[in-house]
Amino acid sequence: MKKFFLSLKTTVWTLLALICIFFVGSYMMPMHQGIFSPMNDDLLYSWAERTALGNLCYTWWFFAAVAGLALLTINTLICSIQAVKEKWSRSNALLRISPQIIHIGFLFILLAHLLGAGWGYKISGALPEGTAAQLPEKKALYLQAVHADIDPRWGPRDWSAEVTLIENDHPVVSGTLGPNRPLLYKGVAIYMKSFELEPQPYAILLVVKDPGAIWALVGGILFMLGSFSLLALKWEKA
Amino acid sequence: MPFVSLTTTESLPVYLIFVLKERKCECRTPCTMQIILFLLYPLAFFSPRLILPALGLHVLLIARTAQQYERIPLIGMRDTLGFLAFAIGIIYTVAAWQRRRDLFTYLIIPLILLLLGAGLLSPSSMPGPLPPVLRTVWFDLHVILSFVSYSLFAVGGVFGILALSRYEPFAEASQYRCLLLGYVLFSIAMIFGGIWAYYAWGTYWLWTPKELWTTIVWFFYSFYLHARLVRGWQGTKVIWMGIIGFAIVMFTYVGVGLLMKSSHEF
Repeated sequence: MKKFFLSLKTTVWTLLALICIFFVGSYMMPMHQGIFSPMNDDLLYSWAERTALGNLCYTWWFFAAVAGLALLTINTLICSIQAVKEKWSRSNALLRISPQIIHIGFLFILLAHLLGAGWGYKISGALPEGTAAQLPEKKALYLQAVHADIDPRWGPRDWSAEVTLIENDHPVVSGTLGPNRPLLYKGVAIYMKSFELEPQPYAILLVVKDPGAIWALVGGILFMLGSFSLLALKWEKA
Repeated sequence: MPFVSLTTTESLPVYLIFVLKERKCECRTPCTMQIILFLLYPLAFFSPRLILPALGLHVLLIARTAQQYERIPLIGMRDTLGFLAFAIGIIYTVAAWQRRRDLFTYLIIPLILLLLGAGLLSPSSMPGPLPPVLRTVWFDLHVILSFVSYSLFAVGGVFGILALSRYEPFAEASQYRCLLLGYVLFSIAMIFGGIWAYYAWGTYWLWTPKELWTTIVWFFYSFYLHARLVRGWQGTKVIWMGIIGFAIVMFTYVGVGLLMKSSHEF
């Protein structure tokens, strides 16, 4: 069994299988939008439980992809440990650790997806100016004002919303939301998705708690560092 | 519209002028510059270094479009096909600097002309400033790095053809270098895209056909690098992988947008 997980053949064929699975998925998704549209609106685990399990004839590829990624995770982990053990004494340090840094980065990104799929929350809704909405974890969100700068020729040039996050009945953070400007507070991110100024100004807000986001960032940074290093070392191995 | 034969590179500018006249194109100056590019790029058929005037004009065209729309000109098929042609031109210049005109040039220059032509025939790019959600350095970096990596995959594919035709003994090594650098830049483009998406929409990954195909590209080149570097695959197998990889890249770039509905379209 260890041999199977340690084999590079497993890596290569799992990658090939994942390519085929994602290919099938890319065709299934536009054909069954009713099933796949909620995939990005909810936690992935909730979608899988509520929607995907009941429609296995269309969603089997998703579960196959999860299984493939799980296999790739175990394979990457075992291969990395083995490679570090084997090469520790016979190659230079950078060459030894660069591929493993890339692998660790990749594993962190997968871990981030796992955490984001099962934990946290995603809530969105319209909030009129001057009102508040209850959030999980004894939090509430108050919308003070909505602003928009509209160009008569090109449409909205910029927009913003002033909000306050309340925790245990006390305001903990205030800020201005806008395009690419979420308000971040202890792992909770608040976004302004859309707005309307008439008849009454309101904003469509999205509140996301994704415990995986930070690990995705760490994984991305590690992946980049390892890639640059490997590029320098493997350039000549042509 | 009458049929015009496109069998020679000479007839392509004539056809494009005809099409633009028919369309009463609004972007007259950039379009004129693009037509001049059609005349300048083929100069490389005489000597690879003669591509430099075309690249110079292409830089001016990109700057002119950026100034006109007050944004990075990388939105829509017209912009991006033009940028892809330019990026391939830059990589060609580096790769062909010490070469004479040869099969490499005869394959790359028509590819550049094909991309330019397709760009010019594509619907006009979105006029006006960038939508606010695209106004971030993460978006700029994501798109620029994506297209630079696509161009490396394209040149890698061409080196693959040279290797298959046994035209050049070291073509496979050149293909490997293009794909290795392309893979690193493509990975970074994906990471920057994830950072942008998190700031814009609260997620660094969306389940859409475009993202799935982007992952297919990434898995495919991961497969190539593992097969070549660790398993030691050599020869025809890896050369074909480099060529097939470029076909997958082009489908991800053009085909997914045309055939599959996705939130991630040009």
